[in-house]
Amino acid sequence: MMKQIESAYGSLPEWVRSARFRLTLFYSASLFLIGALLLGGLYMALSKSIGDEQLSKELVFRFDPATNVLRSGVEPAMEDFGQAVNQNALERLREFSLLALAFLFVISFGVGWVVSGRVLAPIDRITDVARRIQATDLSGRISLEGPDDELKRLADTFDSMLERLDDAFIAQRRFIADASHELRNPLAVIRTNLDVVLSDPKADEKALRDTSAVVGRATERMARMVDDLLALARLEAPQQLDERVDIGLVANEIADEFAAVAKSRGIELRRSIESEMLVAGDRFALKRALANLAENALRFAPSETSITIAAGRKDEWVWAAVEDQGPGIPLDEQGQVFERFWRADKSRSRSLGGSGLGLAIVEQVAQAHAGEVTVASKVGSGSTFVIWIPALGREAGSEIPGAPDLDPATA
Amino acid sequence: MRILVVEDEHDLADAVARGLRNDGYATDVAYDGDEALTKIEVNDYDLICLDLNLPGVDGRTIARSIRAGQIQLPGEQPRILMLTARGEASDRIGGLDEGADDYVVKPFDFDELRARVRALLRRDAGRSTALMRVGSLELDTARHEARRDGQPLPLSPKEFALLRYFMSDPGAVFSQEDLLEHVWDENADPFTKTVRVTVMTLRRKLEAEGDEQPIETVVGSGYRLREDT
Repeated sequence: MMKQIESAYGSLPEWVRSARFRLTLFYSASLFLIGALLLGGLYMALSKSIGDEQLSKELVFRFDPATNVLRSGVEPAMEDFGQAVNQNALERLREFSLLALAFLFVISFGVGWVVSGRVLAPIDRITDVARRIQATDLSGRISLEGPDDELKRLADTFDSMLERLDDAFIAQRRFIADASHELRNPLAVIRTNLDVVLSDPKADEKALRDTSAVVGRATERMARMVDDLLALARLEAPQQLDERVDIGLVANEIADEFAAVAKSRGIELRRSIESEMLVAGDRFALKRALANLAENALRFAPSETSITIAAGRKDEWVWAAVEDQGPGIPLDEQGQVFERFWRADKSRSRSLGGSGLGLAIVEQVAQAHAGEVTVASKVGSGSTFVIWIPALGREAGSEIPGAPDLDPATA
Repeated sequence: MRILVVEDEHDLADAVARGLRNDGYATDVAYDGDEALTKIEVNDYDLICLDLNLPGVDGRTIARSIRAGQIQLPGEQPRILMLTARGEASDRIGGLDEGADDYVVKPFDFDELRARVRALLRRDAGRSTALMRVGSLELDTARHEARRDGQPLPLSPKEFALLRYFMSDPGAVFSQEDLLEHVWDENADPFTKTVRVTVMTLRRKLEAEGDEQPIETVVGSGYRLREDT
């Protein structure tokens, strides 16, 4: 049934289906109704005051002297004659009223059409801009001029939405360009090494083995990078953060995992971890974030130094931190460390570093948990990265309470 | 022909250098911008394969300073072949405008890189094909074949490179130092007799396929390839 109505509606000409037509129809119908009520009321009131009792009619005989004929007929009584005139005027009034109503309908339809057209014009403009905008080019704006009314607000809302979308798309494109650039390097390593060894007729087994090792390394790096890219993409989607995670437990697990590597590199791994620090979150993501921090610390720390993995509670926040005694980060670069593909040591070859996404992932994890990651670093004496996550059940909107007290002696 | 490969990706730089050495080019490697600048100031390179993204001084700056004469070059201006991981036109245009002669986008086909290297190097020699010809000598630089009077010459890569260098400027006299600079890379020991030995073996192979010896010794100055061999 609905379908039939819809299809019947769909077969109407476009101008009949437009909001402008409906608005006009509504407007002129309302005006017509008001006019009709007004005129009807006027008519009723008038006829009431005149009195619409039946005229008393009487049988009258009238002698016509010219023809000597006596005629008979029914005529209003003489005293009712004035009444008859009024009645007549009333009838004329009714006729004129109906005519005026019809005229009113036509005129109001015309006026309504023009007025609603004027009112709806900005909407057409918005539609026009929206139609011109494509996913590849979000630079168009409506920029509606005029008073600050509902339509201007609508247009401005559209504009600000476009602005945000545009920014997001630009960031996305930039990211894809960076990612493809980063992937091209290991790809070039693989391709060139294979090309060179295969085109060399004198290549011996050792050359083939060396090339395989190089290709293996490059593939491993690419796999790592793809993993990290996927992790980032996954973190950007809305998260299920309903797991009760004990940050102390996570920090201890990470410390256990990295203990052997640290020892083999001659680095002392210290712990300063409190117990029972619950947050609501994604256990896997939090673990990964802390692992990335530990890995970074290990990558840059010279041997004979120590790394501290710490976790604790401060006010309504739970924090986990990794402190190293590595080279440190200059103050002017500390703002960039969480950017994707940023690398700490520019003189280091890319092939020795990580994917360049580790800290970006850490930041994304912290933000997904309504938290933050902070860095404190001094060139020559080391860096401290702290992940702050709101404690389970804390009140929303509290500020991060400065640096944590991260002394291993408290452990 | 001496080439410098500037690339921070060690595995890539080493592979490119190995491939170019297989082609008989004397090839050095620099893994960052500062190392590259030092080498460019010391050695007379005919061509530089230059990565744009480098730690330290970046490739674009290196190209610009070479072209602007901010670097004291020991010889002529080298050809610059740019390696870039960014395929966008703006990056390629930027590199070419800074003074690069050509570019390849990573990952590249190594045969294409070789072809571009050959094309750039023969621009200096004023040739337009991979074939070099001096008298009865013929050198196909793309296929690595050398012939005398149509008879193939079985040359080692170093001998081939030496003959190619002689043929790039027939009649000119090259000192041992010249040859060491352009045909051998920085790993060659300048105090050995390697140049004399290679010239000798090349001469022997050339003699085997013809009557006259095309490479003459110019007493006190070096060697010369006769134009009318």
